[in-house]
Amino acid sequence: MAQIGLNQTRLGIALLAVSLFLSGCTSSASNRYWGKTAAPTDNVLRYITGSEPESLDPAFGTGQPEARIYMALYEGLLEYHPKTMEPIPAIAENWEISADGTEYLFHLRKNAKFSNGEPITAKDFVYTFRRALSPELASRNANLGYYIKYAEAYNSGGSFVKGADGQFLLKKDFAKTDDSQASDTPAGKTDGKVENAPTNFGTPTEFQKNINAPDRLTVKSDEKERAKDLAADPQLKAAVEGKELVPVKAEDLGVEAVDDDTLRLKLYQSAPYFIQLLPHQLFRVVNRSAIEKSGKDWQRVENIVTSGAFNLTEHYPYDKLVVVKNENYWDAANVHLDSIEFYPLEELTTMMNLYKSGRVDALYNHTVPAAWLDEVRQFKDEYMDHPEVANEYYSLSVKKPPMDNLKVRQAFSLAIDRFALAKFRKTPKPLSNFTPDGIFPKYDEARKKVFGEKLKAENVTVEEWSKGRLFDAEKARKLMTEAGFPVTKSGSGWSCPTFPVDKVTLSYNTAESNKAVAEFNQAQWKQNLGITIPIKNMEWKTFLPFRSGVEYQGFTRNAWVGDYMDPFTFLNLFYSPSNDGATGWWEPKYDALLNSANRELDSQKRLEMLATAEFQVLQEQLVIPLVTQATNWIKKPYVKGMYPNPGTLHAWKFVYIEPDANKWDANADNIMSDSDAQVDEQIKRLTATMTQK
Amino acid sequence: MLSYIIRRLLLVIPMALLVITLTWILIRIAPGSFYSSEKKLPPAVEANIKKKYGLDKPVWQQYLRVMGNITCRTKDADETTTNGLQFGVAGTNFKCFDFGDSLKYEGQSVNEIIRRHFPYSATIGILAYILALIVGLSAGIIAALKQNSATDYGSMSLAMLGLSVPNFVLGPILVLIFSLWLYWLPPARVGGASSYVLPVITLAAIYAAYIARLTRAGMLEVLRSDYIRTARAKGLSEWKVLMKHAVRGGLIPVVSFTGPALAALLAGTVVIEKVFAIPGLGNIFIQSVFNRDEPLTLGIVAFLSILIMIFNLLVDISYAFLDPRIRYE
Repeated sequence: MAQIGLNQTRLGIALLAVSLFLSGCTSSASNRYWGKTAAPTDNVLRYITGSEPESLDPAFGTGQPEARIYMALYEGLLEYHPKTMEPIPAIAENWEISADGTEYLFHLRKNAKFSNGEPITAKDFVYTFRRALSPELASRNANLGYYIKYAEAYNSGGSFVKGADGQFLLKKDFAKTDDSQASDTPAGKTDGKVENAPTNFGTPTEFQKNINAPDRLTVKSDEKERAKDLAADPQLKAAVEGKELVPVKAEDLGVEAVDDDTLRLKLYQSAPYFIQLLPHQLFRVVNRSAIEKSGKDWQRVENIVTSGAFNLTEHYPYDKLVVVKNENYWDAANVHLDSIEFYPLEELTTMMNLYKSGRVDALYNHTVPAAWLDEVRQFKDEYMDHPEVANEYYSLSVKKPPMDNLKVRQAFSLAIDRFALAKFRKTPKPLSNFTPDGIFPKYDEARKKVFGEKLKAENVTVEEWSKGRLFDAEKARKLMTEAGFPVTKSGSGWSCPTFPVDKVTLSYNTAESNKAVAEFNQAQWKQNLGITIPIKNMEWKTFLPFRSGVEYQGFTRNAWVGDYMDPFTFLNLFYSPSNDGATGWWEPKYDALLNSANRELDSQKRLEMLATAEFQVLQEQLVIPLVTQATNWIKKPYVKGMYPNPGTLHAWKFVYIEPDANKWDANADNIMSDSDAQVDEQIKRLTATMTQK
Repeated sequence: MLSYIIRRLLLVIPMALLVITLTWILIRIAPGSFYSSEKKLPPAVEANIKKKYGLDKPVWQQYLRVMGNITCRTKDADETTTNGLQFGVAGTNFKCFDFGDSLKYEGQSVNEIIRRHFPYSATIGILAYILALIVGLSAGIIAALKQNSATDYGSMSLAMLGLSVPNFVLGPILVLIFSLWLYWLPPARVGGASSYVLPVITLAAIYAAYIARLTRAGMLEVLRSDYIRTARAKGLSEWKVLMKHAVRGGLIPVVSFTGPALAALLAGTVVIEKVFAIPGLGNIFIQSVFNRDEPLTLGIVAFLSILIMIFNLLVDISYAFLDPRIRYE
């Protein structure tokens, strides 16, 4: 999920300064809770969710603020577990996955209804999936659905090629032996070498037979673009010439309503993390009749039909959005709140004021400003500082000198004292790996094993190696000297006169916190290497193309919030030539390794293959990892069933308000391991229908 | 006078079109687009978006389409839009000022957004304006009448303080006292009369201070002038001298300040809207630029530029009433 661009103006800086001054006068550590704390009597949760939602269409909005609102209004096949964010049953009671991992059968519950009382059936999901992927909707999230067979071709306006004999040309006949023909997403990338084994999976249907036939070849429908592709491949050109082009239609997608309560999904290839993606907003079910009746106005209060635990009753943009319990929701008996008021707000100081004066009950992540932290974190029952599925790092322009030199890259990374950085930033944790630590426990194990094997030759343990990567000024100077830029003692510090500082800049998008980190690292490099790197801030939208096009020289600030709970969402940042890592680096072998990892059906083996890929990223020092982000938000102790999960996405039906002060949440540090009988029971009941097949 | 007003009003149209064109060019020069985000879009998805919003057409066509929708024209046969001003004359269908839909907020038209959020800014702006006028004028007049007295020094020191404390400092201080210590007033968000108290005071403070100083200076100058001496010599009561002669002349500098100030207040102030979480136009305007939401930026620029031009005209007209020496031909 893309991070929200912080358009901090000078105002932000000024407010921060004032709040720093004021917060000094307001400390009141004698109270157990921060500010006015009394459980609301109306059973309404007041929540600040971030920026004003761009749309109430779940297939359209891309940010986290939207995602949180969609989680109240819409439900998908699966839902995020409130603590771990692992998928748990929602409208699908259970599911089966075929032996080769490419075909899914979802069994829907029979009592699911839209807010207007219409039943939710497999047909509604087929409509939802087709709509989300249609080129006309132009969803920016569409690529998350590219794992589904023919989804990319449909979304990007592709065509099948039909021969004179009525047979479609097949992809495998044109497969490249190498991986140079890269697709933009892992999903679109099938080398065609594996033929989908004919399956005996679920009720056999005509659709199943067709969709399981070998992958058809697709080419661009647009003549100009097709000509460009064909020019690069004479064999393909000869084969396509004179043949009939059949545009890929919505009906060709690998989605089928087998019957009212069985949905079949067909993927290009096994993608073990695909199930993690299904609670995503793109796949939450929408109501066809409401959309067809009201057109682009369907999301308005008077027209909207929802599928989730809540229904929309008021929407005043930039002010508030109110949802109330949906009595037609299949699990309405277990929805505890009567209503949620979402306030779209981004000004951190204003949020703190509203929270402290008891007018809001909970905030979203990264909301406690640095100046308030020391005061707020004393309130242990309210402040939450848990690891997030998000990292922060500097991308390096590895194709341009001097950053094309591995030793230079390593030297800059080692010269940053990450413990000091984490202490300075107060909430994040130092990170020497690329995938955040402590988020994927099984992956952490796999990583330890794989890294250990790789390091045997170097005679170091994983612990020593990891620790050494967090800070080692001596080694940094040695590497820099070896790279041809000698670092010498000068007075009490160091100097490196030959390093071309005019060829590098550290650029970042304008935000108070980014500036603080950039200045901190600038000082570290000055202190440990004697090199002063110029820093430069840029407005968000100006910065984006500058970074993604690798127009920068040297270093640029980067961060990533995982789209789903699997390390692949991070390793994907170096996949395909146009990847989001923004380093200019790309290697077909790396892609091939990830592809085979995703074809691997043994999950532990797969994670080990992913760890091998991460090891390569680290060894090549494509980026300078800095920290694992922390949740950094607060909620009143009477708000229960709401957890600092790694993505700050809350399944609202678990949330409730506890009037009895004796049962309020105490010590948020343990909130993830403490048990809450009501929530546990609710999860147990939901997951009871999951069967291992 | 009338022909002057008509001439000035006619000038508003080319000026507004010029402002819109320049703004459009600036937006197009700025890097980045409304759909760009942390995550790079696959080319296919980007192509879909461009096609949907007509960004795949040549630039001059896009410009003509924008300008064509803003200025008045007959509706195309297949056009169903209800945006902008619509009117039918003798079977034709005219429409004007159609800025289209926001790019960022799906399905919301620019006209609708302005209509919805301008009242918030305007309410706070007008209340602050009235408060600033009442406080500023009375403080300024009293200070001028009692020059060099304790009242004068007291009110002018307060005005100096009001001028030098920026509203992003005053706002949080007021919030701290009245919302977080005393729990009397809400610290932010609109809802009920009490929620307007703090933002209005914060916004009014600097204007009241400025008006007080201008009034005092203007009054002092007028009180020393010959025609006031003449009025007194004629035996008019002090009250009449003050209200009929002195105040009218003394207010000219105040009017030239408060005219444009009212336009600025109505347009919404980003700082106050951010600090107090008010869904006004000022903040939305700034956000639209950051979001590269071209139609919304254009719409607000056009709206505000016309608003400011009209207020400037009103100021110029009011001079004629305040100062008998000024005549417009």
